[in-house]
Amino acid sequence: MDCDDCLDKLYVFLDTELSETDLASVRQHLSGCDDCDDNFVFEARFLKQLKDCVTSDVAPSELRQRVIDKLRGPSAPPPTR
Amino acid sequence: MAKDPFETEALTFLDPLYRTALRMTRSEADAEDLVQETYIRALRFRDQFTPGTNLKAWLFRILTNTFINTYRRRQSQPEFTELDDVDEFSLYKRMSDLRAASSSPDPETEFLNGIVDSEVKDALTELPEKFRQVVLLDVEGFSYKEIAEMLDIPIGTVMSRLHRGRKFLQKRLLDLAQERGIAAVRTAPQKG
Repeated sequence: MDCDDCLDKLYVFLDTELSETDLASVRQHLSGCDDCDDNFVFEARFLKQLKDCVTSDVAPSELRQRVIDKLRGPSAPPPTR
Repeated sequence: MAKDPFETEALTFLDPLYRTALRMTRSEADAEDLVQETYIRALRFRDQFTPGTNLKAWLFRILTNTFINTYRRRQSQPEFTELDDVDEFSLYKRMSDLRAASSSPDPETEFLNGIVDSEVKDALTELPEKFRQVVLLDVEGFSYKEIAEMLDIPIGTVMSRLHRGRKFLQKRLLDLAQERGIAAVRTAPQKG
């Protein structure tokens, strides 16, 4: 596996969606290529930061109550089994 | 009234559903309506949920379908961009190019530390919708396959949209950092 092949698989690797065979090839390449390894580490840090930022928002507290009221309100569908 | 276990479990996903709705609709009022509609539909169609399977994914599927069928119609013209111009963009390579000219010993870290949440959210807002949906579902922890099923698109399309969506965000965040003039990227060559 060369650097281009390895970088093609960067996101699939970081998303833990790579097949076992490709996973072994990528790991082997990264262990011997500092530049690709640094690139993967940088992208992983970026993705983590993106995720942490986007998933930090919470719903307004009134919304929870409004949803509960809707679910239990007169117009709510009867629970089914 | 005794608590309904389905309702209780479904409500644990209120925060992820709301923030995804907020970024999809780009409006707090629409996001609240979309979330309420999602829960009403979930309760109405609860017989279609198989207990023991992924309730979060099931709820997100309702959310995305409701958004696509209802809210998107009200919004502006569909976006036709494929973002193919960002396909080859590599923030890492751009940072490497900067390293020689930068006064910072670690421009990558300085860049990442300098990113503020509001810029990430602004960049997400600018991301065209079909890419934004995939990025939002990814950060909520869904697999390629789950996202493909929710949006009814092939897995290969999920992968390419995710790739381009991330590249777009990186490019936009680098542009914003340069506008802000952070030291690590101040000497950035204006190319690409």
